[in-house]
Amino acid sequence: MMLFRIECKKIFRSAAFIVYCAISLLFFLTNYYSDCADVEYSSGGSVAVEDHDRIMDGALNSLMGDYASNRYICYPYGFYKSVHLKEKKRDKVKEYLKEITGADDKGFEEILSKGEVYYEGYSTEKMYSYHDIPVKEGFEYERFCEIMADVDDMLGGGSIYDPENLMYSFSLVPMPEEDIKAEQDAFIKEDKITGGLARLFCDYVGIDLGILPVFAAAWLTAADRKRRMHELVYTRDISSVKLVFARYAALLFTMFIPVAAEMLIALIQALVVYRGESMDMLAFFKLPMIWLIPILMFSTAVGVLLTEVFSSPVAILVQVVIWFRSVVMTDFPLSGETGKFTLVCRHNTAFGREIFLAGMDDFIFSRIFWTIVSLAMMLLAAAVYSAKRGGSFNGIRLFGKDSIFRRKA
Amino acid sequence: MVSGCLARIAYSDVRHNFLPHYLAAVGVLLITPVIFGLSELTAQMAAQPLEIMPLLMGIILLTPILAPEQNECILETVRSKKMSRHIVNAMRIACALVLLSVLIFALGWYMRCNDSEVTVKMCLGALAGAFAIGSLGFFCAAVTDNIIVGYMVSLMYLIMNFFLRRELGKFFLMSMTYGIKGCKPVLAVSGAVLIAAAMIYRRAVKNER
Repeated sequence: MMLFRIECKKIFRSAAFIVYCAISLLFFLTNYYSDCADVEYSSGGSVAVEDHDRIMDGALNSLMGDYASNRYICYPYGFYKSVHLKEKKRDKVKEYLKEITGADDKGFEEILSKGEVYYEGYSTEKMYSYHDIPVKEGFEYERFCEIMADVDDMLGGGSIYDPENLMYSFSLVPMPEEDIKAEQDAFIKEDKITGGLARLFCDYVGIDLGILPVFAAAWLTAADRKRRMHELVYTRDISSVKLVFARYAALLFTMFIPVAAEMLIALIQALVVYRGESMDMLAFFKLPMIWLIPILMFSTAVGVLLTEVFSSPVAILVQVVIWFRSVVMTDFPLSGETGKFTLVCRHNTAFGREIFLAGMDDFIFSRIFWTIVSLAMMLLAAAVYSAKRGGSFNGIRLFGKDSIFRRKA
Repeated sequence: MVSGCLARIAYSDVRHNFLPHYLAAVGVLLITPVIFGLSELTAQMAAQPLEIMPLLMGIILLTPILAPEQNECILETVRSKKMSRHIVNAMRIACALVLLSVLIFALGWYMRCNDSEVTVKMCLGALAGAFAIGSLGFFCAAVTDNIIVGYMVSLMYLIMNFFLRRELGKFFLMSMTYGIKGCKPVLAVSGAVLIAAAMIYRRAVKNER
């Protein structure tokens, strides 16, 4: 406990922690706090419906346009990428289009000639769009999805033809009145307002917790070497496991303080904005603990372990890549976005209780999984630390003897 | 003779301290075509890769300018030298800026060769953004004497740009992508001010020669 207190004190006094708190608070205020400043009882936007005819019509016309222009828009890494297919793959798409439309070679050429020409920006390249090309009578949706999956695969993934996204790309309709009413009821009666807001809170705070802790963890782990105190610490009569876990616990505790403060601010804001409504006063403290602590544990463990192994900010680079994969490369929609191994779960709305509950098993699994992974990483970090103390290991050098990656700071 | 000495320092510095950073910046350039489509883009679409990737290069190249002296042993050796550390730092910044410019113009040239609408002005705009965010990292690292804080602030500022377009006003880094005018000169000046402020701080408060 004494060691834990000393480590906490050390972290509190560090510039890395102060900057961590400032950035965390800034993120919270500019995202969650400003988004939830007004009363809202329903998302009221559009909703994706599984209307197979609508999906097939939309996707077929879009694919016709892309095929004619030989330009397919994809977002494989969350950013715009236009893909041009080579002859062989283009022919394959043509065959698929013929199969879906039920046209022969001549018929297909006829359909192709119906495209409307348009130009993008100052480009002189012709682009084509199609609107009323019908799908062959009785064409099976399962086969259609198989074709779309293959097209998406040929494009390198991340296209609007990914079967998982088809519904959101081509079958969005305004939310019906009864759905709006049901959503309002779920938000007020079942979520008791704060339950829904807590999910949105976790979504926003999870984004910065997925990356911020790694900086403080990397700093604390490297601090002994920077101050040339490591040899002094190595000779102390304390087990490596105890020392590493005490530091880990101190990092988790201190870095959760701004999150706890944000929970409190969010609750006060909810009480003010939705005054007079019946609310679950503990919702802001229950869900965020389960949702956010594994994220905090993992990004901290990455910082500690990799800094211990490489004695450098390699951890920052690795966590940036992990964060980019979990946050930027997420497919839409950003609600109920939980897989078994999702680190940063997304649910960018205070509503959609049903969608969130539908993925609850995976959500719970992912939280347990990342908690175990984090603890295993910390055990490994303790073993590395122990090996360093014993002199049998001195970190891995990435770029030769005097490399910057071997910098002991 | 002085210039020869400076050239030797620059060579030694690059070889022993900054080569991995330079390679990492080149790596960012090389992965750009994997992440983004770079061919046949309109000016506004071309601005996206041209603005985002140089920001990473700016962080990688400018934030760790003071990294070698984070090691106490190196710091003690450097303190004993006659050569002013400000001159060495200025030389490191100059090297980083030259490489940054080369990489950005190489990216712009590659895009232009692939029929994207890229102009020299757009490349200069990208350079201004990269310079500003790199200078922010350098400034924070100089003030806190902690490179990790420099990385933290500059990376988080980059992430903020994805969420806070309006709130950042003239300090928004991706203005060309959204067709907002007047941001780049402000960023270029801010970058210069941050570098000057960091140097003055190190001299006045930290008594650095």
